[in-house]
Amino acid sequence: MSAIGAKPAAGAAVDTTAMVVGIIILLLVIGATYYLFGSGLAFMALIGIIIGGVLIGFGVHFVPVGGAPAAMGQAPGIATGVAMLAAGAGLAGLFGGAWAAELGVVVATITGAIGGGLMMAITCMFVNFIYVFGMGIPSASGKVTKDPITGDTQAEFKSQGTEGHGLPFVSYVGGVIGGLFGGAGGTLIYLMLLDLYEEELPAMMNALPAQIVPIAVTLAGMFAIGMFLVNAVLAAYNITGTIEGPHDPKFKRFPRAVVASAVASAICGIVAIMIVAL
Amino acid sequence: MTVKVEKIEGGVPHTTILAAGLIASVVCIYLTYANVLTGTQLFSFFGGLGTVAALIWGSHTIKHLCSYGIGTGVPSAGMIAFGSGVIAMLFATKYGIAAPIVAVVLAAVIGLILGYLANNVLNMRIPVMIQSLVEMAIIGALVLMGYAAMMTGSFELTSLTTGNVQILGLSLPSYQASFLGGALIATAFMLGAIAIQHPFNACLGPNWTQDRMLMLAAECGFLSMITAAIMSMPLISMSAALVSLFVAIIGWYYTYAKYIELSKRDAAAWLESKPIPDVEGH
Repeated sequence: MSAIGAKPAAGAAVDTTAMVVGIIILLLVIGATYYLFGSGLAFMALIGIIIGGVLIGFGVHFVPVGGAPAAMGQAPGIATGVAMLAAGAGLAGLFGGAWAAELGVVVATITGAIGGGLMMAITCMFVNFIYVFGMGIPSASGKVTKDPITGDTQAEFKSQGTEGHGLPFVSYVGGVIGGLFGGAGGTLIYLMLLDLYEEELPAMMNALPAQIVPIAVTLAGMFAIGMFLVNAVLAAYNITGTIEGPHDPKFKRFPRAVVASAVASAICGIVAIMIVAL
Repeated sequence: MTVKVEKIEGGVPHTTILAAGLIASVVCIYLTYANVLTGTQLFSFFGGLGTVAALIWGSHTIKHLCSYGIGTGVPSAGMIAFGSGVIAMLFATKYGIAAPIVAVVLAAVIGLILGYLANNVLNMRIPVMIQSLVEMAIIGALVLMGYAAMMTGSFELTSLTTGNVQILGLSLPSYQASFLGGALIATAFMLGAIAIQHPFNACLGPNWTQDRMLMLAAECGFLSMITAAIMSMPLISMSAALVSLFVAIIGWYYTYAKYIELSKRDAAAWLESKPIPDVEGH
C-alpha cells in the first residue's frame, strides 16, 4: 500500500468496546488495591496517581505541538515533539512542586502547576519571538477562521499551501493551560508517592525516617517521571503527534486519552505502591 | 495510521534480533551475579554489556514501530520505553536473584496493557503496536537493571539503596551514597533513553541500512557505558570501575571505527576533512 493511496488515520472514532475494557481494567486495579491494602494511605495514593495521570494526559491536548512541519514554518505550534515538551514543561513543574512538598498537598500542587505554566509561557514567548523576528512569519491558525479569544481573523495572514504558522494567541493560552495541568499532575503523583514512601520505607528498610529521605525522594521522583512520560506519550499518540491547541478539532478526542491515562496510571501506580506495601 | 512508509528489506529478521537481544541481555545481567559468588566486584562490567545488547535490540524495535508513521517522533518511543521500564525494574529488584526474570515478565505485562491502550483505546491501529510496546518496556527495564548492576555490582534492592561512606578510615553505611539515594538512576534513565532513540533517528531515510543503524546503537550503548563506568567509581571498588571503563572504551572505539567505515560505505561521496584543518599558504 502506498502512502498516497492509504486512508487517513482512524481519527476521532471511539472504539466503545476498548473503552469499556479500559474502564474495567481501571476498576479492577482500584478494587485490587482496596482489597490488598485497605482504604489507607496506599489507596489514597493510587487515587491521587490516577487523578495526576489524567491531568497530564488531558493537559497535553492544550499544548500547541507543531513537530517538524512547524520547524519549517508550515504548521502552527512549537517546533518539537510531545516527548520533549512534556519533559520540559512537566518536569519543570515537578521540580518546582517538589521544593514545596513540605508545605502540604495544595500549596505544592499549585506551585507545580505554576512551574509548568511558567515554563510553557516562556517557551511559547520565545518560540513566537523566533518565528516573528527570526523567520519573518506572522502567527496564523489554519484550523479556525477567527481566534476564539481575541476574535482576530486568521485567513489573510496564512500563507498559501501551509496549515498556518507561528503561535496564534489561542495556542499561546493553550500552551500555558497545558503547562498548568501537566505540572500539577506530575507534582500530585510525586507527592502521593513521597507520602507513602516516607511512611512505609523506615519499617521496610529498618532505618530511621530521616535516613530514608533520599531513597523516598528518588523513588517517588523516578516513578513520577516514568508515569509522566508514559501519560504524555499516550496522549501524543491520541493526537497523532501534532495539535494546534484547544481550538483544534483533534482536541475533541480527549475522552479517549482520559481513559487511557487513567488506566496506564493505575497500572503503573499499583506497581509503584506494591514496592513498599507488599 | 496504517501507512507503512518503509519496509525492512534483507538483513537479519526482527525476531532473530529480538531473541538474541533478550537472551544476551538477561545472561549478561545474570553474569554480574558472579560478583556474589566470587566475592569481588570485577564482573560488574557484564551489566554494561547487557545494556548494549538490549539497546541494539531496542533500536531495531523502534525501527520496526516507527516505520509505520506514528506521527509523534522517534524520541517519544524511547521515552515510553524507559517510563514503563523503570517502574517494572524498580519493583523487580525486590526479588533478589530472580530480579531480571521478574523485570522481564512485569515489563511485558505493563507493555501489553499500554500497547492495548495505544492500539485500541486510542485507536492507533498499528499492527506491531502491542508487540513493540511490550518489547520497549522489557528493553527499558533490562537497560536500567544493567546500569544498576554495573554501577553497584548487584541488582538487588538492598544494594541499590545502601552504600558505604569512608569517614576517618571507618566504613559507615549510607543511604545517600547509593544508586537510588544518589539519584544515579535518573542519569541512567536518560543515558539509556537517548541511546535507544538516537540510532534510528540518525539513520532513518531512504538509504537506511540495518548494519549501520545497529552499529550506531552499539556505539551509543558503549558511549553511555563509559559514563556509567565513571559514575560507578564511588559505589564499587576502583579496580572494578576501571575494568568497566576499559571494556567500555575498547568497545566504543571498535564500534565507532566500524560505524564510520559503514557510513563511508553508504555515503555517495565524502571529503576526508580533519577536525582542525591545515591552513595552506602561510
